[in-house]
Order: sequence, then structure tokens, then C-alpha cells
Amino acid sequence: MAQKMTISFTVNGDKETREVNVGQTLLKFIRNELHLTGTKEGCEIGECGACMVLLDGKPVNSCLVLAVELDGKELVTIEGLSKNGELDRVQKAFVEHSAFQCGFCTPGMIISAKALLDRNPNPTDEDINEALSGNLCRCGAYQEIREAVKASVKK
Amino acid sequence: MPSYEYVKCTDLKQAFDLLSSREQAYPLAGGTDLMVGMRGGKFTARLLVDLKDLEELKILREDEKGITVGAAVILNEIAAYEPILKNIPILAQGAHSVGSYSIRNRGTLAGNICNASPAADTAAPLYCLGASIVIAGTGGQRTVPVEEFFTGPGKTDLKKGELVHSVLVPKPYPQEKGVYIKASRTGSVDLATVGVAVQRWGDKVKIAVGAVAPTPVRALAVEEAVNEKGEKDWARAAKLVHESISPITDLRGSRDYRYHIAEVLVRRGLEQTMGV
Repeated sequence: MAQKMTISFTVNGDKETREVNVGQTLLKFIRNELHLTGTKEGCEIGECGACMVLLDGKPVNSCLVLAVELDGKELVTIEGLSKNGELDRVQKAFVEHSAFQCGFCTPGMIISAKALLDRNPNPTDEDINEALSGNLCRCGAYQEIREAVKASVKK
Repeated sequence: MPSYEYVKCTDLKQAFDLLSSREQAYPLAGGTDLMVGMRGGKFTARLLVDLKDLEELKILREDEKGITVGAAVILNEIAAYEPILKNIPILAQGAHSVGSYSIRNRGTLAGNICNASPAADTAAPLYCLGASIVIAGTGGQRTVPVEEFFTGPGKTDLKKGELVHSVLVPKPYPQEKGVYIKASRTGSVDLATVGVAVQRWGDKVKIAVGAVAPTPVRALAVEEAVNEKGEKDWARAAKLVHESISPITDLRGSRDYRYHIAEVLVRRGLEQTMGV
């Protein structure tokens, strides 16, 4: 019988209290319990970045975090970036620059890019590369992704 | 879903008690190696002891002894800590080489060494800096030199019920340049195929190499040639790294390739720190 624990946290601005199974990853919890399926399940070993979310404002691989570790923390997923139906500037830039092909890596890329711009409003190309170093795009849309991040800096 | 218990520790004693009394109890800090290891079957945990919120382990400070990095301090914080960047930048380079930006938001220095991969990016810089590992347990604290902490692949000097409390890089710091050079298949999110740290100390040099032996190793033959025999031909000195290493073939590179690249990186490290 899996141990259960009650945790309280904020998800995309809303306060929540939930019972979680110990052993469940934050990624599975987000997708299967919170039903926020924008966060993607890729490699599940912290190499691809498809599961990137913001935990207390920092990008982390949610496949390597336990759901119980969310207790007392603030979680932002890709669904939390748009405000009143309007996309975030990074999301808009990705659309304008066609910075995706299949789209599977896109939520993770946007989360990493958003975190970068929050901590460093004027990133260099090197800063952008580093910030996205944990996000893989199997379609190889890196050039457009970089362009989109650069474009969102100027806005 | 894996079945184990989880305890978020509120004091260190609770952590020691749990780790010493329970079977298959693992300390959890960043979890970036532990979670992957559990998923891959490397560890079967029945209890995770979460240390992340212990204030004592969050210490990152410089004092008269040197720089102390608590076990719960994340790698991104280490790579950006001003006293580290100013006095021992080689450690910042090593910390910055681990995983990716997001991995470094969770992963810790203590975790990187406790995982005891021969390829641990922070190990070779710590060897060159003469770092000490502060180990805590029910019996109190003890300190071991980092070179004695690693005992084999995935193996450390830690006894049951003990954990790494902090890492101390002692004063005096080197006044000269140090570099950590990593060869890997991709720019990030890969372990080192070979990792070389070269730290100049006055007119002498300390060199450590990762991913070429069961633990990170000092390149003592190279050091002797440069420090004692006055060898100034870095290419000739670098060849002597072969005496200190015993690499294996794996998916990151063959044994022969590792011999070759270790020599190349040692030469480059000498050029960059001791002058061309």
C-alpha cells in the first residue's frame, strides 16, 4: 500500500490541497491528477526537458521531482502563462517564428525561456543556449526557437 | 508506482536515526541521480529521507577556514557564488558542467560526489583544491580528504547512517588560474567522456582526471614531471597521464580514445594554466 500524504501548494495562481501517493512524480501528478496535460512526458530521466515546469519560479524537470516535494511551493505550468486568454509574450513569439514542428518540446522550451527572461531580461545568445541546454527538440527547430526567444526579449 | 515511504526531515538527528535504523533508506537532496537510479533499478528504496529543508545543510559561506558548501546547496547557486567565482573558479566551472540548467536547479555538490560516478564533474576540481568532505552521523562529525572519499564506482567512504554534511574548500586558495575541461558527446546533459581539472599553485600544478579509472584520479606522474623535474614541454608531460589512468570502453568512448583525449586535455590544461 503506497503511503499517502496531504500537500498544499499553489498551481498557476490557485491554492490547492491534495492527497498524493508517495512515489508519484510531480510530472505524473500534474498530468493525471491536476489534468494539466500541457506538461509532456518524454524521457523521464531528466534529459529531454519536455516536462519542464516552474517550481518557486525556477525551471525544473518535473519527472525528477516527487509530488510530495510540491508541499508549500508555487507551481507554474505552461497553462499558467497566458493571462485572460492572452498568450504570454514568449508564447506569441514562438507562434510568430514558427518555433516548433511537432510541438512536443514546445511547452518545456517556453517554460525554460520564460524563466530565463524573468531572471535576465537581456540575455546574450550564450545565455539563451545555456537556459535551453536541458531542452531537446527532435525536429531540430533550434534556430527558430532561438530566434523566438530573442524576439521576445525586444518586446 | 514504486512503493516507499517519504519523510521530510526537520532536524539532522532525525535523519541519522532514520538512515541508521531502516533498511534501504536513502537521503534525498536534489534527487536528480536518485530518481533516475530508482527508475533504472540501480536503487530500490524503501524510505526516502528528504534533507532539502534542513537549514544547517543550506549553508554556503566563506569564513577564515575557507568556503563551506552545505549538502543541500544547489549547483546553480554554487556556480554563481561570488567567493567561489573570485577565489576558486575551477569549482564553479565543474558545477556548471553538470547536467543542464534545470538539473542544476535541483542537483547538489554533495549529491554529485555521493553518487560517486568516476565522471563526476565537480570531483576533479575538488581534488585539485584539496577539498575536505565533512561527514555527519550519530557518532558526530568526521572529515575526510576528497581523494579518500571516493572508493570505487558508485562507492564512497560513507558508512550506514552517515551523510555528507558539507564540503570545505580550505584556505589558502590558489592565486593562479585553474581550468576544468570536459569532453562529452553533447554540450550538456551528458556525463564526461573524460574530464580534466588543472589548477596552478604558484609555479606548481595539480591535475585530476575523471572518467578514466574507478574513481577520479590525480595525474601524479604529470605533476611530478612538471613540479619536481621542471618539465616545460607540456605535450611530453601530458603523455605521462597514461601512467595514472585505466580507462574502460563504454558508450561514451573507447579505452583508446580515452587515453588519447585525456592526454590532449591535460596538455591543453597545462597550456591554459602554465602558459604556452
